[in-house]
Amino acid sequence: MKRIEVKLSLPVVAPLLDVIKEVADSLSTDLAASNTLAEVETELRDTWRDELLLSQNEEVKQLLALFDTEFFATGVVAFDGSNAEPIVRACAAIRLRLRERFLLDLKEDVLESGDIELEALDEPGRRAFMCYLFLATIQELIIQHLDSSILEN
Amino acid sequence: MSPRNKTQPDPEGSSATATALEGRWNVVVLNDPVNLMSYVVLVFKKVFGFSEVTARKHMLEVHEQGRSVVWSGVREQAEHYAFTLQHWHLHTVLESDEAH
Repeated sequence: MKRIEVKLSLPVVAPLLDVIKEVADSLSTDLAASNTLAEVETELRDTWRDELLLSQNEEVKQLLALFDTEFFATGVVAFDGSNAEPIVRACAAIRLRLRERFLLDLKEDVLESGDIELEALDEPGRRAFMCYLFLATIQELIIQHLDSSILEN
Repeated sequence: MSPRNKTQPDPEGSSATATALEGRWNVVVLNDPVNLMSYVVLVFKKVFGFSEVTARKHMLEVHEQGRSVVWSGVREQAEHYAFTLQHWHLHTVLESDEAH
């Protein structure tokens, strides 16, 4: 099984984890991408929502588990076919919520381009944006190196 | 317990349900400024089995036009795809093809 290990800078990443954890907690009762399926019957939509919420919570937990005591000792996180898919999805969920909670003032085209003036953001906004970029980097690494594992699963 | 009493026929309700389930339904993915282009391409390849070229075409439609019809067909399958796309955190709506 293909596996990638990434060594992260602890002084850079550690301060971001509190923000990520806080945002992850806020997702425990809500879907990151709001359930917009108005065409679906209410009963079915509620069932879907419960199932989606359950898997969202499990996947977010899997992402947070990367940053365990071993990570704080070595700075290394590892991805393989067994965790790539849930983690890439968990990153998407948290990035959506980061945007909703901290980055709504940024226009869509500015956010898409990534051309952000950090000085223009307040401190919570700056930290949220750093988390937003950090999680995107994890997604890009997984997609670049483990997309075949995800597609074959 | 199901809210509907299945022992009592409900011709009007059945007919309305049948009408709603008939016809073609579109699975439409809406743009969001958060999800990465590479992520959306991966999701389309994974969920629909699209080639890289087709997945990129739909991703660019979403990005540039704000939406892309990624699948059309019977209601039940459309619901399955919509559920799966929501699992991947893509903003998805179902539209009856008759509406267009």
